Amino acid sequence: MTTVLKTEDLRKQFGQLTAVDDVSIEIDDDKITSIIGPNGAGKTTFYNLLTGVLEPTSGSIWLRSGEGDELADVTDAEPHEVAQAGLSRSYQITNIFEGLTVRENVRVARISHEGTRLDFRSRATGDESVEADVEELLELTGLTDIADTPCDTLSHGEKRTVEIALALAIEPNVFLMDEPTAGMNPTEVTEIVSLIRELDADLDATFVVTEHNMDVVTDISDRIVVLAEGSILADGAPEDVLTDERVTEAYLGSDSV
Amino acid sequence: MSATDTGGRVSRFGSAVAEGWTRERLGLLGAVALVLVAFAPPFQVYLFTDFLVVALFALGFNLLYGYTGLLSFGHGLFYAGGAYGIAIVLRDLTPVVADVVGAGIAPLVTFALGGVVGLALVVALAVPVGWLSVRLEEIYFALITLAFGMLGYSLIIQDPAGLTNGTDGVIVLLGTVDLGGFSLRIGGRRIYYAISAVTVVAAVYGVWRVVNSPFGTVCKAIRESPDRAAALGIDVSHHRWMTFIVSAAVVGIAGVLRAGLASVASPGLTHWSTSAIAVIATVIGGATYFYGPIVGAFIFLYIRWAISRFPALEAYWELFFGALLIAVVLFFKQGAVGGLLLLRDRLFGDGDADDAGSGGGGARDDGGQATAATDDGAESGDDNARADRGDNS
Repeated sequence: MTTVLKTEDLRKQFGQLTAVDDVSIEIDDDKITSIIGPNGAGKTTFYNLLTGVLEPTSGSIWLRSGEGDELADVTDAEPHEVAQAGLSRSYQITNIFEGLTVRENVRVARISHEGTRLDFRSRATGDESVEADVEELLELTGLTDIADTPCDTLSHGEKRTVEIALALAIEPNVFLMDEPTAGMNPTEVTEIVSLIRELDADLDATFVVTEHNMDVVTDISDRIVVLAEGSILADGAPEDVLTDERVTEAYLGSDSV
Repeated sequence: MSATDTGGRVSRFGSAVAEGWTRERLGLLGAVALVLVAFAPPFQVYLFTDFLVVALFALGFNLLYGYTGLLSFGHGLFYAGGAYGIAIVLRDLTPVVADVVGAGIAPLVTFALGGVVGLALVVALAVPVGWLSVRLEEIYFALITLAFGMLGYSLIIQDPAGLTNGTDGVIVLLGTVDLGGFSLRIGGRRIYYAISAVTVVAAVYGVWRVVNSPFGTVCKAIRESPDRAAALGIDVSHHRWMTFIVSAAVVGIAGVLRAGLASVASPGLTHWSTSAIAVIATVIGGATYFYGPIVGAFIFLYIRWAISRFPALEAYWELFFGALLIAVVLFFKQGAVGGLLLLRDRLFGDGDADDAGSGGGGARDDGGQATAATDDGAESGDDNARADRGDNS
């Protein structure tokens, strides 16, 4: 067991509102961790702090970068630096390159990862090692059949899968998924859950998931962290956390269960 | 009966197009056309050179607009930068160069040197201007580039360094190469056309390579979603900055050619109304297509020329372009190229529609038709998708 992501007293204030209130957490690489909480609990703000989109008011963020067990301080890093350091994400509202095909989407991510971003001379399609990696990723995520389809013609579930392929293409140490099943029909939910399980088993990446669908949460989580009003309310194995009275209370009256 | 005949003929033509008009043949056809233009009447040669220069201007601009999603209203600055660079070198350095290489070849050497200096000047301008501009997005980016363009305009007019000759601009005298029995007037319509055509074709090929390189692929990704690109480890503002510099350099080459063609580098080149020419040509042609700005520049210049032949209308040519632009923006968001591709799909069809056509057209086309249909299918699917995206936005 190794810690791959750690926050110390992470805090974010918007004026008088404290969205994330001194959160200290350690994410281990041997579990799928779910971060849950009622609407407005600070989950998305927490993600935006981790990924460098928002700057924390105070506290620090540490990320395992590369192969070693050393944690690097990424508190003040820009989003692209955080991504390069090994933290990848998917968004609550699918965020992919809509105008490009599935294969081109994955290719962009591989180009970024390989560091050939500023290469003017070669052909984007000419790098055989990149192309082989792209094919492998498409295979892994089951997208081979629709590889040449422009993404703006895909179904919602397919777009979600493309986003997972994108996030994985940069070979992250940690993969933050923000509500992977949002807006999906039950069949798509089943498919994405089994894909997440498969990927978690196959890959080195550590999965961290926020989710509103409690069936999904109990299904995939090894550990659940409950956020409420910006701080950690409960943290532990699913059976303990979900029977915790404070958790039930926090959820009462909200539309989230 | 006659309708069926026409259908058959159209479908045969369609398959002939699909079979025969490969990229190589189109390229060869283009090269032949470029050579033939050199033998046209002098004014037509001039007009076509003008088109090539404006096409390169718009193409350079579109690297930033269509490919990276940043609308610059100040690319005239780089157009003027290239033009003034070569104009000042020709004015001030011709005697020096003549001392070094001899008077006979000096005009050509000075011209080449001026081109290099013009390009270097543009890059030197684009580095800081781009660095500051790419920090902003959308309308703010358009406004700051507009401001930089107009800043250049007022600096050129005020001429604090005594280099740009104020509102009159710098006269460009290209001179004549004289080597014993052989003489060549660089500014001659046909010679200058040849120089421009070779330069523009080379630059267009360069841009095409950039667009199809890993660099260009990342540009497209940034256009589609800057957040997502950053979340994949792409330094978005750095990449935009690099694109800005490349885009400005291409426009600078067009500016160098413009100076020789117009025989003057004038302050108007960096006025916002010149920057707008690139925008208009690109929008008319279709910003999402590589050749869009080139087609747009062709339409822009040749319609303007056609209008100028009617003195009664000439004063209103801008009004006419205003109307054309409104029509394109409202009804053909994909521009002329998008419209043509849509028309091609309607006429020649793809997939099922194509098979139906060959039924009427005769059995002998079937073999070719099948391959044509598959080739076509992938491509036109893409076009349709683009058209859809345009409608949604």
